[in-house]
Amino acid sequence: MATHDQRGLIAVFYGSIVFFSLICLFPFVLAVSGSLSTESRLAAEGYSLLPRGFTLDTYRFMFASKATQIFQAYGVSLFVTVVGTISAVLVTTAYAYVITVRSFRYRNWFAFIAYFTMLFSGGTLPWYILATKYYHLDDKLVGLFVPYLLNVFLMYLQANYFRSIPHEVTESAQMDGAGHMRIFFSIMLPLGRVGLVTISLFYALQFWNDFYLPLLLVSDQNLYTIQYMMYSMMANIQYLASGANTQISGVVIAPPLESAKMAMTCLTVLPIAILYPFLQRYFVKGIIVGSVKG
Amino acid sequence: MQDGAVKAQDVPHTATHTSRRRTGKGWSGFRKDSPLLLLALPGLLVLILFAYLPMSGLILVFKEYNYNGGIFGSPWAGWSNFEFFFSSMDNAIRATRNTVMLNVLYMLTGTFFSVAIAVILNELRGKMFIRITQSVMFFPYFISWIVIGAVLFSLLDFDKGIANKLLTAVGAGPIDWYASPWLFVVVLVLANIWKSAGYGAIIYYAVLQGIDPAYYEAGRIDGASRMQLIMRITIPMLIPSIILLTLLGIGGMLKGDLSMIMGVTFLNPLLLPTTDIIDVYVYRTAIRSGEFGFASAITLYQSIFGFVLVLVANKLAGWYDRDSKLF
Repeated sequence: MATHDQRGLIAVFYGSIVFFSLICLFPFVLAVSGSLSTESRLAAEGYSLLPRGFTLDTYRFMFASKATQIFQAYGVSLFVTVVGTISAVLVTTAYAYVITVRSFRYRNWFAFIAYFTMLFSGGTLPWYILATKYYHLDDKLVGLFVPYLLNVFLMYLQANYFRSIPHEVTESAQMDGAGHMRIFFSIMLPLGRVGLVTISLFYALQFWNDFYLPLLLVSDQNLYTIQYMMYSMMANIQYLASGANTQISGVVIAPPLESAKMAMTCLTVLPIAILYPFLQRYFVKGIIVGSVKG
Repeated sequence: MQDGAVKAQDVPHTATHTSRRRTGKGWSGFRKDSPLLLLALPGLLVLILFAYLPMSGLILVFKEYNYNGGIFGSPWAGWSNFEFFFSSMDNAIRATRNTVMLNVLYMLTGTFFSVAIAVILNELRGKMFIRITQSVMFFPYFISWIVIGAVLFSLLDFDKGIANKLLTAVGAGPIDWYASPWLFVVVLVLANIWKSAGYGAIIYYAVLQGIDPAYYEAGRIDGASRMQLIMRITIPMLIPSIILLTLLGIGGMLKGDLSMIMGVTFLNPLLLPTTDIIDVYVYRTAIRSGEFGFASAITLYQSIFGFVLVLVANKLAGWYDRDSKLF
């Protein structure tokens, strides 16, 4: 009887995990299906898990009327993600290296200066005034990544990776006359590459998904990131209608607002969905290393 | 990112007297250190520009802000911003209540689901099954709030949303979700679970992987059922991590996620009674409407009490477990 009991329990366990996993996938199925539905049926019958009348018209419409904006926004997001990640990783690893050099007298000072910002913050308002009035980062491409170049949490994560490199390695390099620049670039960076990959991915994710910086700093449509473009679409349903009545293969159609939102969702998530299977294990590693020990 | 999750050894000890050879003092020391200073410089600049100068910007609260004068050139206003703050306490109380309420709910439900997922996964054997479901459950963590907001809209839309379709099907009638501030709290909590439970489960699952299997064998020999093993071994093993992460979470109780509220509610005025968290309030009044006086007072209040909370949380965590103290 005990085994019967246990089998039931195991079934419940499998069932609940499968259920939650399906819930996690459900919105994406909904979005894909919505983007492939015809606008008229979507408007009349609502969203569903299977497309209502399969069609690619929405994507055709999007690329016919909004192609420039979409590619522009993709371009901005891509630029911010690539340039932002590379610069942030350089800034972060350099700082992390400095606070792990044992012979450096001020390393604790530097560590504390970074650490204190995790405890106390001036909040959004002074930040906003400084960024716009004093640094003039509003409506500038650099404004979309420079404020994020040093994430203290990721810096400490990288410092942990650096500390795991035996210091005999750096000591012998110093004996051979290598300076700190040399040690950092030719020894520490290559040896700390597991950490490097992990923090790069966290930065890339942050830059791609960020919506805080464009929200505060961007009003110029040319600088919209893909996330911010989506936001303005959602917040202002009329945004799409501005390119209304575009002719697609000779037929005048009304702008597919509902399905277009879903198509935009798919386009925003697509790059992540493609890369996710290959990269997720690095994130898992980073989370486990970075979290409090059990 | 979890601010709190930093290991103890990261944190500087202010007085370290070691016999290790240090870089020298004076000019020769500076020359020796200069490559290091150069390496740290970009990061230091970012910290000064985007963390330390904003802290000094908190003096704004004593200023009557005007655009030309900026933070440092605007005339002093004495305590008038505070008077304004106390005279419209309702707003401050509502914003604070919403921030704390949502954070507490996120923490309780998030922890519960993360732990539940980790515990259940720990009971299952299929390696492939675990790997795949874990990846699937982790995926929402990678999705921005604005995308989640768009999908939520397709679920909750009054006419076209799936939720109302289902409700009408069972005769419960459609609900105007975007006009029901208290029901929307449930939506926010569920959305938060959806986005972050898989992430949290990774941490707890990693802890469980470290448990010595001998405990379970001993339990089984004593005739414990699977449920008893979970209640008597698995959960107690997780308790320290749960308590620790919760205590550290207390430090973030006054921090709000502007992106989440913006992405999911689009600042819908009907939802503000429960979604107007401190960060949203500051954004609405100061950045959108240009009324800096009150917002500066609430910003200062958020900074100071946030700081106190972090100190308290750290104290509690250190009292609970010495090694997990942050500083």
